Amino acid sequence: MNLAFVLALTLAAVDRPVIDLSGGRIQPLPLAIAKPLGSQETGTAVEAVLAQDFERSGLFRLLDSASFLAPPDEGMTGIDYSKWQTVGAQALIKANCDASADVSCEMRLYDVARGQELLHGTYTAPRPALRLAAHRFGDDVVRFFTHEPGVFQTRIAWVRESESGKQVMVSDWDGFGVQPLTGASINLLPSWSPDGRMIAFTSFREGGGAHLYTVEVASRQVRSLIGLGDFATGASYSPDGSRLLFSASQNDNTDVYVAQADGSGARRITEARGIDISASWSPDGKRVAFVSERAGTPQIYTMAADGSDVRRLTFQGNYNQEPAWSPKGDLIAFSGRDEHRVFDLYTVAVDTGKVTRLTQNQGTNEKPAWAPNGRYLLFSSTRSGKRQVWMSQPDGSNQRLVTSEKVGAADPAWGPLPGK
Amino acid sequence: MIGSAPPSLLAPQGRMPALPAVSLAIALHAGVFAAAFVLPRLFDGPPPPRKPIIAHLVALGRPRDPRLLPRKESPPPSAASRPVPVPSTAAAPSAAPRKPEPSRSELMERALARATGKADPETREPADPERVGSASGSVEGTATTAEEGDAYFTAVHDAILEHYVVPSVISERERLYLAASVLAWIGPDGRILSHEFQKKSGNAFFDQALELAIQKTRLPPPPAGLARSLRDNGVLLNFRP
Repeated sequence: MNLAFVLALTLAAVDRPVIDLSGGRIQPLPLAIAKPLGSQETGTAVEAVLAQDFERSGLFRLLDSASFLAPPDEGMTGIDYSKWQTVGAQALIKANCDASADVSCEMRLYDVARGQELLHGTYTAPRPALRLAAHRFGDDVVRFFTHEPGVFQTRIAWVRESESGKQVMVSDWDGFGVQPLTGASINLLPSWSPDGRMIAFTSFREGGGAHLYTVEVASRQVRSLIGLGDFATGASYSPDGSRLLFSASQNDNTDVYVAQADGSGARRITEARGIDISASWSPDGKRVAFVSERAGTPQIYTMAADGSDVRRLTFQGNYNQEPAWSPKGDLIAFSGRDEHRVFDLYTVAVDTGKVTRLTQNQGTNEKPAWAPNGRYLLFSSTRSGKRQVWMSQPDGSNQRLVTSEKVGAADPAWGPLPGK
Repeated sequence: MIGSAPPSLLAPQGRMPALPAVSLAIALHAGVFAAAFVLPRLFDGPPPPRKPIIAHLVALGRPRDPRLLPRKESPPPSAASRPVPVPSTAAAPSAAPRKPEPSRSELMERALARATGKADPETREPADPERVGSASGSVEGTATTAEEGDAYFTAVHDAILEHYVVPSVISERERLYLAASVLAWIGPDGRILSHEFQKKSGNAFFDQALELAIQKTRLPPPPAGLARSLRDNGVLLNFRP
């Protein structure tokens, strides 16, 4: 009896169950932007740009300023954090702008729960570039939290559809500041050079078939790039900017080619019968994603940049097209036609081949294009009746309208990060 | 002639000397106590933690042809869209019988219903008529296949998960290695009596989100067999994004 008792005491350990929890809902961080101090005109304009950036980013949830309990004249120091905590803020932003000719704003970010300042700086810009000052601070806030660059200062290119043709346009990432880059012939499929100075595009501007051209963004000067075969289309700059992928049709066979960035030295890198098209670089420039009909239906494939080591990546669906390799390298976004004959956006994991659907029951969704930090996708969608450019996060969440064109907008391409 | 009687079986046969007997007893006790100290050291630390099998309700839906492109993963429909049960027309008994103790599966159902009811309907997408699942599944189901599990711990898991939010400002790369452990003690009424971080993640915003999730979570009362253990020993919650 003694023996049993002591052994029981000895061996009885704490029987504590363990539950593993993963898959928490990814939700934006509640953020309060306090009423600006100093010049109200400048401060309010900066606040509006910041608010839009943060809201669209999907990273932050802006709290309604009507609920704020802190006095509007609360300064940049001596903050009563309990008042901000009560309204649910986890982060707080304050701005104090000068009423000078140029924009000059002191902007700060605070951690409300711990009651400490996280970031501060003075942001200046000529008055016409007021949005840029706000975008810069916004990008600094994003980098502080995510340790990754923000995209608020980036620009995007897309094609304006009108009765007279299709024009390549550029705008800010949020659709503001739209500028035409080309005339109104039929111009398609813009692609940024990695330094953001040039855009290559496909055009029928000289009659006959489609061929490749470049336009310098600053001067809007258009130059012919590649006029190979019956048509040449779908240019894509390599990540280091030295080479160019494109597709061209010669002798009734469409293949993928690689050339120097100036269009010289074009070399065919696919040899299968049938169409090989829509080539897109991997972020390290070593592989290429493309569409091939070699197995009977258009599917997504990858190959080495010299055309060797071809691997089929998609096996679901019977019409997959427009691959775009993510900057992080793990996913390829594409559009695919489902059993209802509707094109939607998907991603396929490069390592596992797992396909994930991003859009559904929202019109036709096509032409995915990654943001340079890999956090967003641009695409075209007909969900509102007219084709417009939309953006979303890579899991399909946080879908937002970017363009509001009278006739339509398509073929988006996201420009590089500033300073690249 | 009277012969000598055989010796009684009960008659003393002779006693063991006291000293060897005491020595043997001491040796035996010493052995027992030695075992008490030695045996635990034979095992490498405490016994392995008990990990309940977390089983989710199988979603009501249709198995999908694997050759087709997938459907979008869809959440369960909101509480508002669920069919309202029609009260039975049968006459209710005048004296309500005493309610039986809820079964474990009922407790799980209740926890799920409460959690789903609290969700903001605006954040939910409309129900997908082509949702992947089983023809015999539940409208509230979240899994595509079934597994036998521990009902109460599944309810705990799901109730916490309902409030488990990961701030989207945490980058995907950082999410890969973030992990935190919280020890929570649960009262007989299902209240979380107290909790403490056994291991923080190192990201203040992630840890703060876990703190909020535990504060907001309401659990069903544990079944009688688990109540004491959960009150005294608690349950260890390992969080990963």
